[in-house]
Amino acid sequence: TINGDYVFTKAQYDAVGNMITGLQGTMQYTTSYNDVAGWGSKYIFNQGTAPYAVFSSAYTKELNEMGEIVRAFEKDPALVNKLAIAKIWQVYCFSKVTDLYGDIPYKEAALGYVSSNYKPVYDSQQSIYTDLLAQLETAVGMFDATKTTFGAADMIYGGDLTKWKKFAYSLMLRMGMRMTKANSTLAETWVKKAIAGGVIREDADLAKISYLASGQIINQNPLAYWMLNSDYILANGNSNPEGGKYDKVFIDYLKATNDPRLPVISVVYVNGKASNDPSIQKGMAHNIANTKPSDFVTYSEPNQNTLLKLSAPMLVLTNAEVNFYLAEAALRGWYTTETAANLYASGTRAALRQWSLYGSDGVISDANIEAYVTAQALKTGTVAAQMEQIHTQFWVSVFPNSQEVFLNWRRTGYPALVPNNYAGNNTGGQIFRRMLYPATEENLNADNYYKAVATQGANEFMTRIWLDKQ
Amino acid sequence: QNITGKVTNVTDGSPLPGVTVVEKGSTKGTVTDAQGQYTLNAAAEATLIFSYLGYVSQEIPVGGRTTVDVAMKEDTKSLNEVVVTALGIQRDKKALAYSVTEVKGSEFTQARENNVANALSGKIAGVNATGLSTGPGGSSRIIIRGNGSLTGANQPLYVINGMPIDNTTPGGSATANGGQGNVDRGDGIGGINPDDIESMSVLKGGTAAALYGSRAANGVILITTKKGRAQKGIGVDFNSTFTAESIAVVPDWQYEYGQGDGAVKPTTQAQGIAWGRRSWGAKIDGSDFVAADGLTHPYVAQRNNLKNFYQTGKTFTNTLAVNGGNENVNYRFSVSDLDAKGILPTQTYNRKTGNLSLNGKFGPKIAVEALAQYTIEANNNKTGAGDALGNPNWTPYMIGNTSDIRWLAPGYDANNNEIAWNDASIASNSYFVINKYKQNDTKNRFIGQFGLTYNILDNLFVKGTVSRDFFNYQYKYILPTGTLYVPNGEYNELKTDVSETNAMVTANYNTKIASTIGLSALVGANRRDYNYNQINIAGSNYVLPYFYSSTNLRTITTTPLNQRVRTNSVFGSLDLDYKGIAFLTMTGRQDWFSTLSPKNNSIFYPSIGGSFVLSQAIALPRAIDFAKVRASWAQVGGATPDPYAINLTYSMVPSSGQPLQNVTSTAITNAGLKPLTSTTYEVGVDLQFLNRRVGLDLTYYNRSTTDDIVQTSISETSGYNSVYMNVGKMSNKGVEALVTYSPIRRKNFGWDISYNVAYNDSKVIKLADGITSLQMATSVGNWAYINSIEGRSYGTIVGTTRQRDANGNIIYDPTTGYALKSNLHELGKGVPPLTMGLTNEFHYKNFSFNFLVDGKFGNKIFSVLEVYANRMGKLKRTLDGRENGLTVTGVTASGDSFTKTIAKENLRTYYDNDKNYTELFLHDASFVKLRQAMVSYNIPVKNFKLLKLQSASISFVSRNILTLYKNTDNFDPEQSFTNSSNQGFESIGLPRTRSYGLNLLLKF
Repeated sequence: TINGDYVFTKAQYDAVGNMITGLQGTMQYTTSYNDVAGWGSKYIFNQGTAPYAVFSSAYTKELNEMGEIVRAFEKDPALVNKLAIAKIWQVYCFSKVTDLYGDIPYKEAALGYVSSNYKPVYDSQQSIYTDLLAQLETAVGMFDATKTTFGAADMIYGGDLTKWKKFAYSLMLRMGMRMTKANSTLAETWVKKAIAGGVIREDADLAKISYLASGQIINQNPLAYWMLNSDYILANGNSNPEGGKYDKVFIDYLKATNDPRLPVISVVYVNGKASNDPSIQKGMAHNIANTKPSDFVTYSEPNQNTLLKLSAPMLVLTNAEVNFYLAEAALRGWYTTETAANLYASGTRAALRQWSLYGSDGVISDANIEAYVTAQALKTGTVAAQMEQIHTQFWVSVFPNSQEVFLNWRRTGYPALVPNNYAGNNTGGQIFRRMLYPATEENLNADNYYKAVATQGANEFMTRIWLDKQ
Repeated sequence: QNITGKVTNVTDGSPLPGVTVVEKGSTKGTVTDAQGQYTLNAAAEATLIFSYLGYVSQEIPVGGRTTVDVAMKEDTKSLNEVVVTALGIQRDKKALAYSVTEVKGSEFTQARENNVANALSGKIAGVNATGLSTGPGGSSRIIIRGNGSLTGANQPLYVINGMPIDNTTPGGSATANGGQGNVDRGDGIGGINPDDIESMSVLKGGTAAALYGSRAANGVILITTKKGRAQKGIGVDFNSTFTAESIAVVPDWQYEYGQGDGAVKPTTQAQGIAWGRRSWGAKIDGSDFVAADGLTHPYVAQRNNLKNFYQTGKTFTNTLAVNGGNENVNYRFSVSDLDAKGILPTQTYNRKTGNLSLNGKFGPKIAVEALAQYTIEANNNKTGAGDALGNPNWTPYMIGNTSDIRWLAPGYDANNNEIAWNDASIASNSYFVINKYKQNDTKNRFIGQFGLTYNILDNLFVKGTVSRDFFNYQYKYILPTGTLYVPNGEYNELKTDVSETNAMVTANYNTKIASTIGLSALVGANRRDYNYNQINIAGSNYVLPYFYSSTNLRTITTTPLNQRVRTNSVFGSLDLDYKGIAFLTMTGRQDWFSTLSPKNNSIFYPSIGGSFVLSQAIALPRAIDFAKVRASWAQVGGATPDPYAINLTYSMVPSSGQPLQNVTSTAITNAGLKPLTSTTYEVGVDLQFLNRRVGLDLTYYNRSTTDDIVQTSISETSGYNSVYMNVGKMSNKGVEALVTYSPIRRKNFGWDISYNVAYNDSKVIKLADGITSLQMATSVGNWAYINSIEGRSYGTIVGTTRQRDANGNIIYDPTTGYALKSNLHELGKGVPPLTMGLTNEFHYKNFSFNFLVDGKFGNKIFSVLEVYANRMGKLKRTLDGRENGLTVTGVTASGDSFTKTIAKENLRTYYDNDKNYTELFLHDASFVKLRQAMVSYNIPVKNFKLLKLQSASISFVSRNILTLYKNTDNFDPEQSFTNSSNQGFESIGLPRTRSYGLNLLLKF
């Protein structure tokens, strides 16, 4: 029989590990000279399942698991806290999928066993968002401090109800902000509701999952595991199977701003030894067409002692991210208690501090933090210019969570990335607007798939989904 | 009274030992001794039946004599009058209500396919046999009268001497698109030594198979093994065969523009590597270029990369058999060794078999028979297929057309690391794969059978048989340290134990009613236990480089799989015979399946059939020698072969931290599953004319499967990948004809022609409510699918085409410049409906010569090889636009005319987009092949008296000699990599081969 705690732990691992790694390239953090591996930075999709990954994996793993445990916890009123936490997590899982794909199966999703529904209909993203936000609100209201909660099975907060409440409102804030383009009135309502409910404002409250350095793959940091096994496992800077390196755009930006994070995240191999000397860091151009550059070894790549540690944490929702949303809310006049400049500075400061979670090599001194925060202080000027500064800082601060950065870029247009017009690309030389439904959906769920495509638009990278339409 | 006599061969008068002599209508019988002599106690008015495999049976009334001598005639057409039917029962052929085809063991011995099942190809109407392109030790796929089940294996049940054996492929069949370790691990029938086979009967119809129950729904192949014969001294047979095979199909690539990209040839090593698998370069002009090896070579076409990479495969087989015995005890013991080197360098296959057969009588009441076979199979470096990583067939097909593949040898550097030859390290260097990847497996298999017959009365006996087929299989796949794509390597190990145990007891009763009606009745019960136990150890990242042990992995996952299945059955049959003119057979069987819910785990199914010998009942025109009509109707029930398909279960997920749990399977279980039913009726005629020179055997059958149990793919958004369910109905209707003709039949010269043809019309009549299409397979990249669609045939290939307007103009998207892709739709059948074979056989004195031509028609095949070859610029169609750019014209969606010229520099990415249009890589898979030719010479042994030779023959055989007709330029239309039900994809397996062999048979 089912043990809800064990399944919940699995669903936490599964949801956090579910990502489209190509977005690292799309956000111009990394690139490859190879156009198959570098698809995310070259907007060329040759073959494979990469643009389907989050969709395919979510339904058979975390969404099915969350369905199982919500049904299990619902049966016992004593487990109301576990149920509420599960529901919050379910919202997180669904939002991750709809944000990338638009209209997706929601109401009928993952009911294959329970109600023999093998062909779920696609719901509109607007209706999904409406329901997810309502679910969040309901879930927070269900907490009962007198009843039992998760222990170690909850790898994020160990069942701490106060922290889960902050997480729920922070997720509400994130999702509210996500709607600024599609429906700014609705966005304002939910952002205000979230702020009033209390969001993550301290490092101690940020949501993260810790991993182990060895053992089963599922217990290891999924991003580090992927990066190591696709490119960096030999740690010599030269024999990267997929041709991966940091993108010139990212490294140039960090260098231009004297960012103290540069030595934390980036190294260059000199005579086979990693050096994080900021002066020799350099990114690789993303328009190289398939020929390995002769100076390949001289380009920067991720630091084995921070980002590539299998025991590094995955940050799900951070103090830094929340502060940037609050800064934007302040700019919009939706939040008036603090100034945008202060919120922005708090976000930047938190972002620099959070690298210490990666271990001693990630610690940035207070002096360096303050120097950077001062240098990068929010400039006075137009709202548009301030938006650009906040969301460009968001780009360097939320790294390596490229999905959040991609969604934030899609909504705000910042950072102002210059698209890579690579020969033969699939997007007319533009950055992706969404990811693709799996090809098999056209064969296995044809009627509903065709309906979704008819209302939302072709199953293409450049089709704009509801959140992305003005 | 005691009757004695001598049985001789009519042609040379030599004594025939081992001939069965029985009194008609009773179970009394004996066999002739080494001198052909027999003694039998029978009534003065009795009729004796003399039968001997390969000879025409005779019925001779005793008529009061005490000596009855008989001269028997060899049946040259192999249409023996006595055939082996269900449960190993020998029956008079004219009594059969269904079509049975028997193939003599000598045909397998001489054809020399490693997997005997492949030798059935083209021989029998309605039997579709396909060998796989996976090298020696590979599996076969046999389909009888079409695919009856949508997702089941659809292969027949193999039965040895009346008892079923296992035909499992351990770890599951290879798939058309899997990656590392996706190899064909061989099937059960491949472990049988052809030299041990006396004959093989193919039971096609439901009636024939009804007694075997659920697993016989797809037909039965009955194998009778050779037994000892009563004779003076010890008989020794020695058979030695050497076969060589070489590549028969080479792609017809373009050799006008050479290696390179953007119409430029490589001039540096970096370019030589980056463009290592691209033939998008300059016009081939004999100038210099730099290849992946960094050396300068002339820019000329390299057409022989397949021949240069693959080698000549060689198989050497030796079998020694001794046999002997007396009237009471017979024995035969054989040992055999097959040693094969594949065309893929380092691929080897070795099979050793020992086979012991014992038959004995202890007094008049008790008879025993026993069979023991031990087989050891060992494989090294089987080929992978599908995805590029570790697929040794990738480089020879895809390397730039001005590079010689041998420049890439040995594929590794001084540190044993793979040497790059192209831009994508996932596309392995084939030399590295054959030299450094390690893959081996061994299978130890034991088949034991023991049967005891007790004659209670003269006409009533009971027989108990137990048989066990057990194998232990170990497979190891090592992706080595130093692989470019996976620098620290991967490890995969499989340990599988499979056993199939059957215990059966039957009682037989024979009698005569009113002296005209013969009655034979049988009742029996069977218990079948099938166990499958497997441990899979998979891991990655060797801690110490180059040390390939499961103890040396950074991450490791161990997955156990334990399945147990039991089926209990009772069955019975009743045969009636009216004066040898009219026959009636009825059977019934009830099965109980452990894999289904007790509420609906049982099914009863009956069969009935009759035959009527017209030529004995009424006066027919003189030209007609024999005429028989037959009709039968049968049901066979079946259940899912997979245990754990009925209830949802949860399993712990291996974790090094917090405990994890999830649903066990991504397949939705179904508690309501009920047994499927396969119903067949068939009618047929059997005619012989003109002194039996012309024969015609015609059958019409109609087979339908209802409540088929399928495991089918479903949308992932359901939370699962597949579901078990009972689905509606599917039907296979068809006609089969066998025409035989002997134009010349003289003492020293004979010519026999045999032609078989079968047409099978398969149709999915009904799936489930709300489901009109099932996805059965997908190609690499989801470029094509195999679906079963309501109203269409089984295994329909589904894909996309370029959208066209009413006038046939291609519709383009003006933004991207690419043609619009259609929705998925049906593109053709994956399985050929029409199959045929033509055999010509000539005898001249001691020489014989025969050849077989066969063909399959009406199906399509989708080529993954061509999708990649198109991307790499190797297909001839990619020559358009190489000189001045490619201009495409068509219309836009709004109807405006559209023209675009793609510069020659950008052709690669433009052509690569063609993979979106399935139609471009789909071909008619019809073919006609000269399948086999054989010359034999019977050496006159009288000249070698000193050697005490009884007989000797030498034959030369060649298989898969020539393709007389095909529509695929770049691959063999039979190119299939999997023995699963998913036929219709080609996926870069080994090239097809032709083989030549020499066979020497000596009898002492």
